Amino acid sequence: MSRLRREQIVGLLMTLPALLLLSIFFLYPLFNSFWMSLHKWPLFGKPKWVGLDNYVWMINDERFWQCLKFTLVYTITVTPMLFIVAIGTALLCNVKTWGTTFFRSIYFLPVVMSFATASFVWLWLYSEWYGVIIFLLKAIGFGPEDGQLSVWTDGWTAMWAVNAMVTWKFAGIQMIILLAGLQSIRDDYYEASRLMGASRFQTIWNITLPLLRPSIALALILSIAGSIQAYEQFQIMTRGGPMNETKTLVMLTIGMGFDYFKLGPAAALGVIIMSILFVITLIQLRLFRKAY
Amino acid sequence: MKKYSGDWYWYYVINSVLVILILFPIYWTFISSVKKPDELITSEPTFYPHTWTWQYYDRIWNYDTAVLTSATTATNNSSKKIHKTTGSVTQTIGIDDAFTNSAIVSVGTIIFSIIVSTFAGYGLTFFRIPFKEVLFILLITPILVPAISLIIPIYKLLKVLGLTDSYLGLIFLHTTAMLPIGVFMMRNAFSSIPNSLREVALLEGTSELKIIGNVMLPLAIPGLLTVMVFAMYISWNDYVLAFLFINSPEKTMLNIALAKIALGGSQFEMKWGSLTAGSMISFIPIIIFYTLLQRYFVRGITGSAVKE
Repeated sequence: MSRLRREQIVGLLMTLPALLLLSIFFLYPLFNSFWMSLHKWPLFGKPKWVGLDNYVWMINDERFWQCLKFTLVYTITVTPMLFIVAIGTALLCNVKTWGTTFFRSIYFLPVVMSFATASFVWLWLYSEWYGVIIFLLKAIGFGPEDGQLSVWTDGWTAMWAVNAMVTWKFAGIQMIILLAGLQSIRDDYYEASRLMGASRFQTIWNITLPLLRPSIALALILSIAGSIQAYEQFQIMTRGGPMNETKTLVMLTIGMGFDYFKLGPAAALGVIIMSILFVITLIQLRLFRKAY
Repeated sequence: MKKYSGDWYWYYVINSVLVILILFPIYWTFISSVKKPDELITSEPTFYPHTWTWQYYDRIWNYDTAVLTSATTATNNSSKKIHKTTGSVTQTIGIDDAFTNSAIVSVGTIIFSIIVSTFAGYGLTFFRIPFKEVLFILLITPILVPAISLIIPIYKLLKVLGLTDSYLGLIFLHTTAMLPIGVFMMRNAFSSIPNSLREVALLEGTSELKIIGNVMLPLAIPGLLTVMVFAMYISWNDYVLAFLFINSPEKTMLNIALAKIALGGSQFEMKWGSLTAGSMISFIPIIIFYTLLQRYFVRGITGSAVKE
């Protein structure tokens, strides 16, 4: 056996565990999700080919549009919140001075807490009777004088309550991504802009932000992709309520599959979510590349 | 910004306000978990604990069954996934068992991830494999397709393989989720090591496995630590997979056990104390990990280190 041959075999053997895992637990389910979405799955017996019926059924279902609409509204509202906090803290942490490293670790701290735990913690902060946020809101004059104040009784306030938690939890990841981008901008640009007498705001607007585009694109893609897959925060905090007003697409998918055992439509929903994510990612990459 | 001292004043004021805002929920969770019930369950909250008790920790860690049982009966109708009824007795487990379960799966994921990513990274760096770049790109595609949109086919697959309701099933799924970061990190780490080092060792007759263990890994420790931190993060913090694929009460993962407390009857006296105490218990291991290995965590997100 030639040396090259031997090297190829040993090399392939080394990547084999990774490739096996990938094929079994990622590629196979990936292809199977398309296949499953084109079949009817009776409780007993063999799956039956039904073509696009599952998709048609899903699209004609009112719940689908309700969940899609909510998921999009959530994505559109939470993304700017996250981004503003992230870019603000990133700019604050890009200054080299005493304490920046400390501030950065603190801003990043909520990221390491598990999403589920963060949801439980904020559930307590928002608790109708004893929650401190409710207490503070009442103290500054929200809600009825002596009655209850609850963020969960209305879909709109429930969403903003969750948005606040998600911003607290995830701004740190975006901050780190933006910070890595900020640090890769060469000092000469700032030097030049200072010599030309630009104000601090002008420098940020004309130098920092344009050069930061790749990092901004990455941060936005992550946040949009994450929001479209929203599940845990609403499952734990609102349980989709009130009246399914805060039910997300993924919650619908999981409900379809695991509570109603409608595997076909559930798989179709999975494919739809995947496609939405794919299209959004493509558009964003295109937009940010063109702008260069 | 360096010119005016007034700017620095504002710099620290803004940062301090942000630090307080961000630490507040964590601070509040901690003080809630050590307040006595009558101080905790009140509409006039106190901003530091006037009374001090470890009773919730003690309760969920040692005498948890009662807490969890009443919690599960309350959630009985909201989701059938949350518990299993055997005969007329609702089986539950305590936080200590759930903690152990999560720890087993996390440690398993860390070990599997390290082995799989090290070999793949090593193979993809030092060997002339056909379609090397294609394989590499293939291995990092899972980052584009979220596991959650594949949840239904994954469930079918686990059933066929007999891996539902098992630690191993979760470990495999978590390790697959780790593949992109793991392979990317290890390949990066090995790429910075000169190939000549390996060739010298080969000429001396050292076996490939020994080279990895004795020569390469010691040089790739930053990459290795990044993989460890991320595997821990993904596994310990997983909620959806643990929620959907584990049914036996005795195999409940920590996050799911907390959900049982959280979804319990809202007027339940011990609920909030138990929940905040449980949250602290879940937060502590990961915070220790983070404090020790913060740098590597950041590296895993950005693909490079952020300068101090």
